[in-house]
Amino acid sequence: MSKNFDVIVIGGGPAGYVAAIRAAQLGLSTAVVDNFVFKDGEPALGGTCLNVGCIPSKALLDSSEQYHKVTHTLSAHGIKAKDVELDVKEMIKRKDKVVKDLTGGIAQLFKANKITWVQGHGKLLDNKQVQVTRHKGEQETYQAESIILAPGSRPIDIDAAPLDGERIVNSDGALEFQEVPKRLGIIGAGVIGLEMGSVWSRLGSKVTLLEAQDQFLPPVDQRVAKAAQAEFKKQGLDIRFGARVTQAKTAKNVTVHYEDKNGKQSIQVDKLVVCVGRRPNTGDLFSEDANLLLDERGFVNVNEQCETNLPGVYAIGDVVRGPMLAHKGSEEGVMVAERIAGKPGHVNYDTIPWVIYTHPEIAWVGRTEEALKHAGVPFKSGTFNFGATGRARAMEDLAGMVKVIAHAETDRILGVHIVGPQASELIAEAVVAMEFHASAEDLARIIHAHPTLSEAVHEAALSVSKRAIHKAN
Amino acid sequence: DDAELSPAVRRLVMENNLNPQAIKATGPGGRITKEDVLAHLEGGAEP
Repeated sequence: MSKNFDVIVIGGGPAGYVAAIRAAQLGLSTAVVDNFVFKDGEPALGGTCLNVGCIPSKALLDSSEQYHKVTHTLSAHGIKAKDVELDVKEMIKRKDKVVKDLTGGIAQLFKANKITWVQGHGKLLDNKQVQVTRHKGEQETYQAESIILAPGSRPIDIDAAPLDGERIVNSDGALEFQEVPKRLGIIGAGVIGLEMGSVWSRLGSKVTLLEAQDQFLPPVDQRVAKAAQAEFKKQGLDIRFGARVTQAKTAKNVTVHYEDKNGKQSIQVDKLVVCVGRRPNTGDLFSEDANLLLDERGFVNVNEQCETNLPGVYAIGDVVRGPMLAHKGSEEGVMVAERIAGKPGHVNYDTIPWVIYTHPEIAWVGRTEEALKHAGVPFKSGTFNFGATGRARAMEDLAGMVKVIAHAETDRILGVHIVGPQASELIAEAVVAMEFHASAEDLARIIHAHPTLSEAVHEAALSVSKRAIHKAN
Repeated sequence: DDAELSPAVRRLVMENNLNPQAIKATGPGGRITKEDVLAHLEGGAEP
């Protein structure tokens, strides 16, 4: 096998594998070095997202929601199910199959695009060389015109609650429980903590989330965050704020000690998940003489075009600044591949959508009311509750709302925030609108199918100018 | 061409009898945004 390529990508996650496919489409000879090994011992492409992130968590969120429907909400439709059984092992097996099918799919795409998959750990050396350490230990050196670093991120560990792989785990471990923990503790009420909490809560766990900050979901518009918080409370998710974990002691179960404004507290749980955040994988990414520059927080230093301080070396995804989201990394991968091929490439960081796959789902794009106030931007906003749409009524899925924020003078849409059924899908319309610099009036004058959930977006846009039809303005 | 105008821009152009070609476009791909029409109207009011 040749060891010279136009492009070598380190990391086969959503940033790296997409960059590789796009580079290959553009006629560049491309190799991807990836060291992930699935739990069955097989090397697998797809990175965190496919193997231990987005996909497996959504698989469990969907399965657990089906169970929750049967046991809790179908009766409202006049459907009564008796003796409903839950087979957690089967549920986990299905999740693993979904993952396997998708990571196998990427391997097929690599073949179809003639991309070389090098299994092992890749390390950037001087002069655009990459040292590969194979899983069995032997080392080889590869060379490329351009190198794309996409090594991703890993969960942050905390000293107060060291993982033991059994009772105290991170998000990877929370996807692998073989039975429902009676009581589940989660440190961190961010996206990952809320999703893991939702899965196990729906399956019957009593879930407590300990969040160090005083505010719920600070990056989310606070009106939407409050609406979501009220729903989670109704579902039984016990979220405690300003709770700083000091120690987790493991015996037959786990005692979690924490401090809040009332002093020292503790809870007893059967399993504890640490979800306090993720950090960039730069540990063994480059040799010292490569002289790659990191920023003050340990991310690879890049400009808007994802160029590092080294000519011909790019970095994308979770290892660089910006939101740690799969689609952000993928778009950076496309941009970098296109620029390497001499074409213009661009990522619009202002229109990256965010989604939290709880029920109701939370999704947003653009800026929050709080951020706009802080920046002194004049704005107006409109809201609409799903409960006032016929579609949500028919679905018996009434919780949540849409909020559209527009510039007070120009009417340009500055942010759209949704909590409610299928918010993850509904946000796409807002992203397109913002990408075309649409005004709230544009959204308000576009025909939305009836009856659909998207009518809540339409009405919220109408409501910006106080002309929503289905509510008193 | 009317088809290239967004709904809000189309409304403003019709209401104010504007020639879209006379409006400075700042939107992606040379499209006229609502802001552009509002700025055009404001500029047009000057003597």
